[in-house]
Amino acid sequence: MVLSDLLTEDLIIPDLKGSTRDEVMEELVDRLQRAGALRNREEYVKALYEREEQGTTGIGFGIAIPHGKSAGVIEPRVAFGRKPEGIDWNSMDGEKAKLIFMIAVPEEQAGNEHLKILQALSRKLMDDSFRDSLLHAKTKDEIVSLIQTM
Amino acid sequence: MKLLAVTACPAGIAHTYMAAEKLERTAKQLGIEIKVETQGSIGAENVLTPDEIAAADGIILATDKGIDKERFVGKPVLECSVADAIKKPQELILAFKEGNVPVYPPVSAGNKEEKTEFSPRQPRSQHPVYRSLMNGVSYMIPFVVIGGLLIALALGIGGEPTAKGLMVPENSFWYPLLKVGEASFLFMVPILSGFIAYNIADRPGLAPGLIGGYIAANGSFYGSEAGAGFIGGIIAGFTAGYLAKWIKSLKVPKMLQPIMPILVIPIVSSVLVSLLFIYVLGAPIADLMTGLTDFLKSMQGSSKILLAMILGAMIAFDMGGPVNKVAFMFGAAMIGEGQTFIMGALAAAICTPPLGMGLATLLSRQKYEKEEREAGKAALAMGLVGITEGAIPFAAADPLRVIPSIMVGSITASVIAMASQVTDSVPHGGPIVAVFQAVGNVPMFFAAIAVGTLVTAILVNLLKKPVS
Repeated sequence: MVLSDLLTEDLIIPDLKGSTRDEVMEELVDRLQRAGALRNREEYVKALYEREEQGTTGIGFGIAIPHGKSAGVIEPRVAFGRKPEGIDWNSMDGEKAKLIFMIAVPEEQAGNEHLKILQALSRKLMDDSFRDSLLHAKTKDEIVSLIQTM
Repeated sequence: MKLLAVTACPAGIAHTYMAAEKLERTAKQLGIEIKVETQGSIGAENVLTPDEIAAADGIILATDKGIDKERFVGKPVLECSVADAIKKPQELILAFKEGNVPVYPPVSAGNKEEKTEFSPRQPRSQHPVYRSLMNGVSYMIPFVVIGGLLIALALGIGGEPTAKGLMVPENSFWYPLLKVGEASFLFMVPILSGFIAYNIADRPGLAPGLIGGYIAANGSFYGSEAGAGFIGGIIAGFTAGYLAKWIKSLKVPKMLQPIMPILVIPIVSSVLVSLLFIYVLGAPIADLMTGLTDFLKSMQGSSKILLAMILGAMIAFDMGGPVNKVAFMFGAAMIGEGQTFIMGALAAAICTPPLGMGLATLLSRQKYEKEEREAGKAALAMGLVGITEGAIPFAAADPLRVIPSIMVGSITASVIAMASQVTDSVPHGGPIVAVFQAVGNVPMFFAAIAVGTLVTAILVNLLKKPVS
C-alpha cells in the first residue's frame, strides 16, 4: 500500500481554518467523514483524543500526526491539512505544528497497517525539502503530486 | 567505511524511524555505508546480522530505552539519544571517521561509566534506578494479573470458608485454575528481580536476577517462614544487576573474554546474590518475623485502636512479604482463641491497597503508565477477593509514594473496623468474606473498606506526579 491510496485529493485541506488543535481536529475529521471513511464519528474522535492523552502526537519539525484506531472507522484513510501560521500541539520540540496528518485505522485491522503508514510518513518527513515543498505548494494538485512521490 | 546503527524510542511509532531516516540520509551524503536496525512497536526490522556486526567499523546506538548491547561487545559503540540522531547525525557519523569512539564495553578505572559527549539528556523521570524498576514492573504485571485474576475467580466462585481460610475443594472445577494462578504468582518476584537486573547489566544480569529473586521470595532458603516479598525481589534485582555490571567492567585477559558473558558473569553474580540472601539478609528477616510476632502478642490487652493501626500498617507495608505475613498469621491464630475482631480489622485492611490503587488509576489517568492503568483494573478485582498483591506493581514502581499511601489507607480501614467491632471468623480478607457470611457487623465492614479505599486513592494521587 502507498500513502496516496489512503490520502486522496478530497482529504487534503491546503488552508486549515481552525486556529486551535481541537478545531483543526474537527475539520480533518469532517473530511474523513465526508469521504465515507467513518462509521461512527464519536468513537473515532474518542480514540484520537485518547491517543493524544497518552502523549502528544506533535512529533516536532512542525508536524503533528494525530491517529486513532477505532471500530468507528470503516477503512484506513489519512487526511492532511496545512496551517502556515502553526498550531500549538504541545510538540516535543516546542515548535508549532504546520503540517497535520490525521490517520484513521479500523479496529479489526489490528495489525501493523497504521504503524507501517506512520513509519513511512515519519521517514519521508525527515526530508527537509519534502517538508518545505509540502508547506509551500501553491495548489492542491501540487500537494497531490508530492504525496504520490512517497 | 561501514557503520551500523540501532534506533529505538519508547513509543516506537515515529521517532525511531525519523532517526533511522536521518542517519541513512546523512551517511549517504557523506559517502558512508550504513545499515540501521529499527526497534519500533512493529518489532525489530532490518535486523543487524552477526556477520554485519563483525564487519562493521562501528555502531551508533540511538536509543531512549534499554536494548540488548551484548552483541556489540568489542566494537566501537557510540551511545546517544534518539533526538541526537535526528538533530546531529553528521557529528555522530564523523566521530567514527575521527576514530574517537570507545570500544564497548567502556573500560574505565572506577565504577563510573565513561560518557561520550553525546550522552542522552536524562529527564528526571528517566533516572536509571526508576527506569530499571519500571522495566522489572512492566514484565511482572502480566504475572500479577494472570495470577491475581485466576485466584480471585477460583476463590470467588469455587471457594469455601474453612478454619484455615478460603479453600477450593480439590475435586472442584476451580481447583486447577487456582493452582495455575498460584503458579503465575510464583514467578512474580523472580521476574521483577530478573528484569531489573536485565535492565542494569543486559543479558548477563537476567539469570542472576531471576535466581536471586526466587531465593528472596522463598524463605525456606534461609529458615524463615515467609520470603522477603517484592521488596526482597527489588533488593535482589539491583544487587544482581550491579554485581553483573561490575564484573563486566573488570579487565580480564583476552583469552577469558569470550566466556565472560555466558559463564563467568552469570555464575559469579548468581552465587554472590544468593549467598547474600541466605547468609546476610535471610537471618534478619527470620528474626524480624519472630520479633514482630512477639511484639504483637505483647500488644494484646493494650489499646485496641493502637493494635489496629499497627496491624493495618503491617498488612500494607510489603503485601505478602514477611511483615504482612506476621500480621496475618497473628490474626488467624487469634480466631482460634475466639478473638475474631482482630481478623475483622485485618480483613478490611487487606483489600484497601489494591482497591485504592485501582480507584486511583481511574481518578487520575495521567499519573499512571498505560500498563499501570490496565493493572489498576485487575487490582480492583483482586481487591474484592482480598488479594493484597494486586497493588504490588504500583508499590514496586514507585515505593516511596505508594507504600506510605496504602499504609495510611489500610490503617484507616483497620481502625474503623476495630472501633466498630467488625469481626471475621475466616482467615481471609476483602468483601468476599462478607459474602461467605463470616463477618459480623457487615455495614461497618464495608464502610471501613470504602473509607480506606478512598483515603488510599486520594493520598497516592496527591503524592504522585503526572508521568512524562
